[in-house]
Amino acid sequence: MQKKNRGMIIAFLTPALFFFVMTFVYPIIRTAIMSFYKIDNVTASMDQWSFTGLSNYMKLLTTPVFKTAMLNLLKIWLIGGLIVMSLALLFAVILTSGIKGKKFFRAVIYLPNIVSAVALAVMWQQYVFSNKFGLFKPIADALGFQWLDAGHKFMSLLIAYCFGMVGYHMLIFLSGIESIDTQYYEASTIDGASKPRQFRYITLPLLKGCFKTNITMWTITSAGFFLWSQLFSSVTTDTAVITPLVYLYMQTFGSGNTVTERNAGIGAAIGMLLAFFVVMVFLITNRLFKNDDLEL
Amino acid sequence: MKKILALLLAMVMVIGLVACGGQEPNTTTEPKNSESGGTVAASSGKTVVYWSMWESTEPQGQAIAQAVEKFAAETGINVDLQFKGRTGIREGLQPALDAGQTIDVFDEDIDRINTTFASYLLDLEELAAANKYEETAVAGLISACREVGGGKLMSIPYQPNIFNFFYNAAIFEEVGVTPPTTWEELLTVCEKIKAAGYTPITCDDAYITSMIGYHLGRLVGEEGVRDIVNNGKWDDPAVVQFANDYAELASKGYFSENIESNVWPAGQNTELALGTAAMYLNGSWLPNEVKDMAGDDFAWGCFSYPEVKNGKTGLEAANFGAQVLAINKNTQIPEEAFQLITYLTKGEADKNLSTMSIGIPADTTNTEWPELLSSVKPVMDSLTTRWTWAVGVESNNDITPAIKENTLKLCGGSITAEQFVSNMMKAAGK
Repeated sequence: MQKKNRGMIIAFLTPALFFFVMTFVYPIIRTAIMSFYKIDNVTASMDQWSFTGLSNYMKLLTTPVFKTAMLNLLKIWLIGGLIVMSLALLFAVILTSGIKGKKFFRAVIYLPNIVSAVALAVMWQQYVFSNKFGLFKPIADALGFQWLDAGHKFMSLLIAYCFGMVGYHMLIFLSGIESIDTQYYEASTIDGASKPRQFRYITLPLLKGCFKTNITMWTITSAGFFLWSQLFSSVTTDTAVITPLVYLYMQTFGSGNTVTERNAGIGAAIGMLLAFFVVMVFLITNRLFKNDDLEL
Repeated sequence: MKKILALLLAMVMVIGLVACGGQEPNTTTEPKNSESGGTVAASSGKTVVYWSMWESTEPQGQAIAQAVEKFAAETGINVDLQFKGRTGIREGLQPALDAGQTIDVFDEDIDRINTTFASYLLDLEELAAANKYEETAVAGLISACREVGGGKLMSIPYQPNIFNFFYNAAIFEEVGVTPPTTWEELLTVCEKIKAAGYTPITCDDAYITSMIGYHLGRLVGEEGVRDIVNNGKWDDPAVVQFANDYAELASKGYFSENIESNVWPAGQNTELALGTAAMYLNGSWLPNEVKDMAGDDFAWGCFSYPEVKNGKTGLEAANFGAQVLAINKNTQIPEEAFQLITYLTKGEADKNLSTMSIGIPADTTNTEWPELLSSVKPVMDSLTTRWTWAVGVESNNDITPAIKENTLKLCGGSITAEQFVSNMMKAAGK
């Protein structure tokens, strides 16, 4: 019986495993190898690659524009992450506090997620931040700056991006809060605990899993930050909003309208660095948010 | 029962795999829509697979789709027209060709086709000669194609373009000025336009690198610009002169007050097209892009970037070129592919493309240019030296973002000429 089953298991698993290896494992290994070569074209055969050792990584570490791109990514991840997580948690708590119209507000806050990022970005930069007739123009005028000038473009980008991301992370927090047994709140209310104390000592500890999920998801989307940066700096990229993935694209496919030197090896090296960044954040998050240290 | 179920599932999988497999080339017999929005014309002949850089919704895409349909009807040659867009060609063409996918004809910018995709191109000299193609082609563009093609004709130009100053002729007339030919004249023109209450010059972030490129190009030529950009020579006297000249424009208020924050297309749409700004350094595609905002009665003018003091090049040098069509060197049907290219770039199809996209015709027998581009013709005819995009100022990926940022700041008056130079030196790691 077991032998019969084994044949069946192999027969059905083989295609899935084959495709998994071909579409995930092989590209990862190939990318890792590519990062040590100079490669003009991303699909060039291996006999056209020239081994350069660690020079792609060394170049990245000494190129000012790549360091700027990494710094921008870090700021998006950290500052944007704090803003998005704070707002998402706040909205989730408000929506689970028994307010009227919960479904309506939940849908409204999530709405930007179903609108195309291209449409959202164009709306923000051409209307909201416009220096001629923008919705936020009075604020900039009062403070004496322009939303999309080099000094403030990153801030504008971050505001627009966070606006679009809050709803998604709010839903994760929302489901986490709703899954907490109401008995905890009832018992603590009888014991005289205030709402803030309930939030601090019941909600937050029981949302550790959600925090872990949210931080991991946020890190992955931040590492892949590309489209918004492209849309806020049309055709040629800006120092203010460049991210590693934009630099990767420039190195792999060329940039702007000029034919530039390409090196898919550098693109691969950037991919490896970003993967390392995501894995490190995941490991640190796992260590910080252990599920088994809860004491209720 | 389990065995029967397993067999059925295996059959479904095999059928699925077969269905996902490639289609045999040259077998199209029925009209159908291709996956990317193009059309396959009906015929029983061979099929030319054409990857286009346009989107099906653009005027150029619509004109090409119409021409392809007529071509198929007239010749009996099928065309599998697939609109890939600019990024689709840039990212997808080379992998597809490397994978041996059947693509007979493709198009993109003249420089990218002849450099990035050079190793995939079929030499068109014999086909062009056999079809007497050059008799009605723009000689300057064919010559440009040979120049970038390493001395051989590897691509065929269509939809020619020119990059220079475009202006609102009504404002010039109202103010009583004519197009400037020197930097001093430009300053005078700007002063009069500003005094009349208009913004003399505007720009968008997407094109700001062309401003510095053109100015440096006038001073040291394209080779000199590439030398500065690729070797970090940002303390070169030409850069200092550029920074001083532009700082003067900024300090006198000749640039739009929004220039530092204009993300394309804000400047061209809300300033130039709406008549509040007078001049914009841009391509001959500009009238088409803003036609819905500017209206049919917008009086377009065009002039060459002015000569500058101690400059190496004059009004004869500018970035001009075309989109080009090329044939895959591995095509099995080169004659049919060239027949399609000829059809698209000659006669009625070329004229229709020019009309629909407000573009410059590629066929010399189509002597009538769109009215909105009438001022471009004398400028185009006067050019003898071809520069590449932005005069090569974007040729170093590592420095372009800093060039863009600091030029915008310089034009906006946020930094001085000295700060521009020192910022660029720092960005270049000097």
